[in-house]
Amino acid sequence: MKILVCVKQVPDAEAPLSVDPRGDWITVPEGMVLRMNRFDTFALEEAVRIRERFPGREAVCIHSVSVGPPRVREVLKKSLALGADEAFHILLEGEGFVSPFETAGLIASLAGADYDLVLAGVMAEDDMQGLVGSLLAECLGYPCATAVMHQRIDEDARRVSVQREIEAGRRECLELDLPAVLTVQSGINRPRYPRLTDALRARKQEPVTIEAGRLGALAQRERLVSLLRPRRSTRGVFLEGSARDKARALLQALHEESFL
Amino acid sequence: MGAMRVIVVAERAGGEVLSVTREVLACGLELAAHAAADVEVLVAGNRIADLVRDLARTCAARVTGVESAQLALYNGEAFRQGLLQVLKADGPLLVCLPHTAFGSDLAPRLAAALDASCITAVEECRFVDGRPRFVRAMFGGKLRAEIVSERSVTVVTLVPGAWAPLPRQRAPEPRWRIVDVQIAPGGSRTREVMEAPGQRVKLDDAEVIVAAGRGIGDPKNLRLLEDLAAIFPRSGLACSRAVCDLGWLGYAHQVGVTGQTVSPGLYIACGISGAVQHLAGMKGSRVIVAINSDPRAAIFQVADYCVVEDLVRFIPLLLEEYRRWSEKGSLQTSRTNTS
Ligand SMILES: Cc1cc2nc3c(=O)[nH]c(=O)nc-3n(C[C@H](O)[C@H](O)[C@H](O)COP(=O)(O)OP(=O)(O)OC[C@H]3O[C@@H](n4cnc5c(N)ncnc54)[C@H](O)[C@@H]3O)c2cc1C
Ligand SMILES: Nc1ncnc2c1ncn2[C@@H]1O[C@H](COP(=O)(O)O)[C@@H](O)[C@H]1O
Repeated sequence: MKILVCVKQVPDAEAPLSVDPRGDWITVPEGMVLRMNRFDTFALEEAVRIRERFPGREAVCIHSVSVGPPRVREVLKKSLALGADEAFHILLEGEGFVSPFETAGLIASLAGADYDLVLAGVMAEDDMQGLVGSLLAECLGYPCATAVMHQRIDEDARRVSVQREIEAGRRECLELDLPAVLTVQSGINRPRYPRLTDALRARKQEPVTIEAGRLGALAQRERLVSLLRPRRSTRGVFLEGSARDKARALLQALHEESFL
Repeated sequence: MGAMRVIVVAERAGGEVLSVTREVLACGLELAAHAAADVEVLVAGNRIADLVRDLARTCAARVTGVESAQLALYNGEAFRQGLLQVLKADGPLLVCLPHTAFGSDLAPRLAAALDASCITAVEECRFVDGRPRFVRAMFGGKLRAEIVSERSVTVVTLVPGAWAPLPRQRAPEPRWRIVDVQIAPGGSRTREVMEAPGQRVKLDDAEVIVAAGRGIGDPKNLRLLEDLAAIFPRSGLACSRAVCDLGWLGYAHQVGVTGQTVSPGLYIACGISGAVQHLAGMKGSRVIVAINSDPRAAIFQVADYCVVEDLVRFIPLLLEEYRRWSEKGSLQTSRTNTS
């Protein structure tokens, strides 16, 4: 069984962001704190658990893939440390908004008919579109389940039963024929720390690079015209002064609102 | 090329159209007004004639029921197949869905099949030279992007709560029809819908909710939040999904789209960034206090009182000030003064 896991590199939520002068993307300065999209860490862990569930017989092989400029090799190295057997870097130069169709088309072109299961995160923390996994399924012509909170592949590896999370924590139960694409919701598992052997292996192993131009791609279908800071809310007040001043001001406010 | 059409895909559960549909309708009508377009509502299901007629009676759009026994429960492949039989893209088209588990699963399937662009979680439409720019959050809500479609067919999903629902109005001549469709078996089968696993903590009765986010940093800091909650008479402890995922608190405490929706008098968000999925569950709180070390955190866009501090330092200070204040009796005194 072969599993492909899509991993994206995103800025850390607490990294200060600035919009580039063209106004259509953030700047990614040298030294910016970047990491693996959290939802993808759950997808990767789920792949590792599948491999553990099918020991011996036919080895489960895990590949990871990331589309982006050279910097994304870092998350691919991380994916190797977290248990991927091989990592593929689809080199797409430049920083900027990429249409999810383009990303999905590139990954589909690399994947071909090689995988029994493709896992993606339910959403990337930077563009927050939640599209690439589903579009990848469309490109490959595979069935797809989104926001998956539980999966179980049957013994002969022909079907997978999943639970997808819907509103208020309820779950839709469905069964998919393999090959299939699942987009993984956070909380499906508790990702582990890298094992020492994997970490050591990852240090020596390099991701395989393929230039985007050599793969079939879909054209951009959307254009980001501007990226703006949200308007300051009109209702909120920022408490000023020292921490102690703020504490006093907050108590006073809560008292006036009759909570204390 | 034909005239522009706007399609609203209704969300249904059992025999009922969900109220979020009227929000999507409101946006659909707004978009249609700018493009001089017609609006049509599509509802997919099995034996839905009554529901289709009722909907047509209360809105100013034509309603089409797409019927098949295979459409009783939601299945992405079946719904795509069914809707595509009435959704022929012969001319410019805008398809609007709610940004719910249903809409976000179905939208990319329709977009791929219609060769359309797809823009999700839209919160606002701005018109520049008559063309819509779809405004949505990015980077955890710290930035907002304006996106335009480069295709003649566009599929969008709309964040629940972003549009006021279209009021029910009696349509003088309701227009509706039922189309029977054939659904070929696909590669996936929906079996059932399960209730949320596990018990939930009752937060409905709490007047004050103190909520923990990943920013608490360590589960031992939950003690600080419990101590803070304890100064209020009817209070409860809640958290973001991230805190549940880390195993610091059970999913029973989660607030948000996939957790509980709460609307207490006071919601104190501690170390919560303010992702739309979290906001959806607590925006209705009367007063919101946010404590976050990042002045740009999106939670401050909805908070009434914004405290930019490290919560590990700030909450003990707040408790210390509270004790000092209540020992002096000044809190009680001023309360009797005001009441
Ligand atoms: C389909 C779907 C459904 C979802 N449903 C939900 C849901 O129901 N509920 C939900 O909550 N989320 C939900 N999410 C997840 C959501 O998108 C966010 O990932 C999540 O809400 C983030 O949680 P957080 O704010 O605790 O963590 P983060 O986003 O990591 O934010 C942590 C915050 O803490 C601040 N901080 C750090 N250190 C300190 C400190 N010392 N003092 C003060 N502040 C500090 C940081 O500045 C940051 O703002 C859903 C996502 C998807 C895709
Ligand atoms: N550039 C990328 N490289 C690899 N995987 C990606 C990329 N962009 C998105 N994905 C995958 O698709 C998921 C959803 O992303 P998005 O549609 O951007 O919200 C992510 O969680 C990743 O698993």
